[in-house]
Amino acid sequence: MRLREAEIVSREDLGSHRLLRCRWRGEEPSPGQFLMVRPGGSTLSYDPFLSRPFFVHDFEGDVVSLLFEVRGRGTELLAREEGGLLLGGPLGRGYPLPEAGPVALVGGGVWVSPLGFLARRLEELGVEHEVFLEVPAGAPEAYVEGLRGLFPWAELVPTGPDGPPGALLGAIGDLSRYRALYASGPAATLRAVAGAGVPAYLAVRERMACGTGACRGCAVPVRRPGGLSYARACAEGPVFAAEEIAW
Amino acid sequence: MREPLEVELCGLRLRTPLVPAAGTLSREELPEVAGAFGAVLPKTVTLEPRPGNPPPRIAEAPSGMINSIGLENPGLDAFLSELDLYDVGLPVFVSVAGETPGEFARVCRRLAGDERVAAVELNLSCPNTERGEETFCSHPPSVEEVVSACREAMPQKPLFAKLASERVLENSLAAGRAGADAVTLINTIPALAVDARTRRVFLAGGLSGPAIKPVALRCVHQVSRTVEVPVIGCGGVVSGTDVAEFMLAGATAVQVGSGSFVRDVREILEGFLSYLEENGLRARDLTESSVPPRP
Repeated sequence: MRLREAEIVSREDLGSHRLLRCRWRGEEPSPGQFLMVRPGGSTLSYDPFLSRPFFVHDFEGDVVSLLFEVRGRGTELLAREEGGLLLGGPLGRGYPLPEAGPVALVGGGVWVSPLGFLARRLEELGVEHEVFLEVPAGAPEAYVEGLRGLFPWAELVPTGPDGPPGALLGAIGDLSRYRALYASGPAATLRAVAGAGVPAYLAVRERMACGTGACRGCAVPVRRPGGLSYARACAEGPVFAAEEIAW
Repeated sequence: MREPLEVELCGLRLRTPLVPAAGTLSREELPEVAGAFGAVLPKTVTLEPRPGNPPPRIAEAPSGMINSIGLENPGLDAFLSELDLYDVGLPVFVSVAGETPGEFARVCRRLAGDERVAAVELNLSCPNTERGEETFCSHPPSVEEVVSACREAMPQKPLFAKLASERVLENSLAAGRAGADAVTLINTIPALAVDARTRRVFLAGGLSGPAIKPVALRCVHQVSRTVEVPVIGCGGVVSGTDVAEFMLAGATAVQVGSGSFVRDVREILEGFLSYLEENGLRARDLTESSVPPRP
């Protein structure tokens, strides 16, 4: 996969997170798809070695937004990069877009990213939707404020004492009001959403090496006619219908 | 124009010296990148289907990565029914693994009569199976046993033995004695990732990427000067210069593995072609003029 050089148009510091907006000249992404991302700049470096998979947080005109938590050396270097990024994609199978609402977008932690782009598309399509985001305990104020800016209509729910997803599901209430749930969150949240008895589509977040289906590093256990097997988050996912995943 | 890139490997004409390392080629991406390769090499196949290892399967490492995929593959029958999808007009090399010499040989017997298969590479060195770090490469006699069995099962087609860095000279000599037509050096190196946050082992697997290139170069150099069969170099190639280095160390062809996850293989080939043009060389000249050891 050829990576494209992408100029960083703007950057926002959201405490633990960064929002980078980049000029994108590739194919138009769809919500739930991801890009492989590595620092660009003048020197090609292989330490860190692997590119990082980031969901497309938003896409408008020719600008793609990436929202990520600064967690280790790789994301730290991306956050500091001055010379631009190298981007590959768009990759994977995104969310199937609903024809009618109401639908709920449910996310939490570092996984809220793809829901921004999905909310924009649903807005354009005129599909009624609500957004519920779980905010981890101890999240920096800058991140919470940032989320409020990025998801102005979302209900932000602080993680309860039992951890995710108890408080979040409590805030949503009766899930059967919705025709479908679109989720991106920690495993416990996804599992709870999958068991809600409503059609649900889950974006999983896995470590990836290639992003293109070659390495089989991003294995997701799935139910298949022959029994349990592994699907590739990068190729068959990252969005799966809830019933596909074998928890 | 591409003629400078052409090499010959065990009687097969390859239009470039680049071959995908086993388990690193995306079938979906193949039509797009095929022009960079001299041959196609799909993921290792075993007689029976293997689901592979539970996640996590990969970890970042300094200038490289650790993987423990566990030879996930659909088994020989399904593999052969899908093999046409790899037909892009290039020779197809099939990577084979097994638990026993007999299992390797059964797969080779099936491949022997399949016209779509140009050559077979025996994966004798995967560190990510139930056998753990104990592979066929831990004992040169077991390398010899597997290669002999496969040679007998498949007398006509070129047979390559993919070996570990461990005991590489003894194993290469053993493979050659048993009838291998070439050796592929090297497979990933057993490695470990520890998670300090959770205070647990995160992943035990095989290290690949630029981190292992110097080890691979040393193995290629040592073996190509001692063993008569050609050497296919493999380990940490991410640039055209890396390809040249492997060929100067004595490799006849070069595999690109995890490097293709971070760099488009067409760019690697373009870099190699530039190197050849700048130096007025052909790819095959490099192997013939391989660098002598330092006195």
